[in-house]
Amino acid sequence: MRVISFRWMSGGISISFSDVAKRYDLRVVFRAVSGEARPGDALVITGPNGSGKSTLLAILCGLLRPTKGVVQYRTDGGDDIPRDEWGRHLGVVAPSMAVYEELTALENLRFYARVRGLALTDADHRALLDRVGLDPDRSTPVRGYSTGMAQRLKIAQALLHSPSILFFDEASSNLDPSGQDWLEGHVRSLVDEGRTVVLATNDRREMTWGSRNVSLVG
Amino acid sequence: MSRWLAEALAVAAKDLRAEFRTRVALNSLALFALTTLAAVSYTIGPYRLAAEDRPFLLSVLLWIVIFFAALAGLDRSFVKEEESHTAPLLRLAAAPTVVWAGKLLYNLVLIFVLMAMLAPLFCVLMGFEIAMPWRFVMVLAVGGYGLAVITTIVAAIIAQAMTRGALFSVLSLPLLLPLLIIVIEGTRAVAMGDLASFSESLRAMITMAGAMTIVSAFLFPIVWRD
Repeated sequence: MRVISFRWMSGGISISFSDVAKRYDLRVVFRAVSGEARPGDALVITGPNGSGKSTLLAILCGLLRPTKGVVQYRTDGGDDIPRDEWGRHLGVVAPSMAVYEELTALENLRFYARVRGLALTDADHRALLDRVGLDPDRSTPVRGYSTGMAQRLKIAQALLHSPSILFFDEASSNLDPSGQDWLEGHVRSLVDEGRTVVLATNDRREMTWGSRNVSLVG
Repeated sequence: MSRWLAEALAVAAKDLRAEFRTRVALNSLALFALTTLAAVSYTIGPYRLAAEDRPFLLSVLLWIVIFFAALAGLDRSFVKEEESHTAPLLRLAAAPTVVWAGKLLYNLVLIFVLMAMLAPLFCVLMGFEIAMPWRFVMVLAVGGYGLAVITTIVAAIIAQAMTRGALFSVLSLPLLLPLLIIVIEGTRAVAMGDLASFSESLRAMITMAGAMTIVSAFLFPIVWRD
């Protein structure tokens, strides 16, 4: 089997957000939140339940528009990246984002690779599944996976295209202790490689992975 | 094959693979179509209509069965993405036009499968004689395409709403009504061998389906991203 290395080949991307606010009708989720993460940084977003961590993450990914404020992605050279191109540069693992449960893990990775226009082979997908601790030969649909196994597949999906920015929302919540150890090592290696990592969490262990912090008030 | 088309085909293939494993939309379409067809053929049958009324009334009945069966199942393409929380990752991974084209292809396959089962069965059970069979296939193909284009964009719009079921029919029917009138006239024309009416209906169908394709392609990125 061809063993591939998922080394990061593209340049670093910084993310900055200033005075970001989100409101649904009369309900204010948060107001005037600012922060920044550069390549090699791990930004940790903390806050009590309902403070808007996942909402802020969705805004930073470009899936939601803020009511107020600005989010910017910048290349190493200082060029702004347009919002509709953010998806190419980021990977995300979040409880509110699922993979296809009717498909197998391999079929899921094949699908995301094809729609992203990646020229990856089955050997590449198998290597990635093996890397996140899933059996590449398992032929059952994801519906039959435990929550921890589904979480590992979501992590594989996020790493598939070697993104410059990675968002993790409560990423270790469904993982067993060995999975949590693996994830911590992996996040640290991503940061060491010079990628930008953003974590939304209340987990004390995940909080220690960050070099910067944004705290939301409930 | 262009990269854009390959990505759109990947979306359609993924949906078809998932659909053939669960059969939710296919069962809805087939059950509605067969139940309606059984009710119509049992109560009206091939002999209760006057000979001069048959081409028109049977055309109306055929398209009513096809349209309402489509309304029962074609909204699933986007609603399922939202309900199963797979839409956010798809938004990040694929270009909006790729998603639109993939979902349109998927709906087209479903509607053509439905028509391939339903139309011959309807003709046999209702004694619906078609003077120009190949042109009948053309009417079904262009009408089916128009139906798929309209239901795809409406499904994308209603997938964002809370009251999805009712909204799909409410939004679809005004858009589908002009197409319904044209395809009924086209079907009547091919049943009676009226070439002039067929040509006129076909032109109108192609114009409407083409206009809806262009409008949908421009509207979809706004609906999908925001």
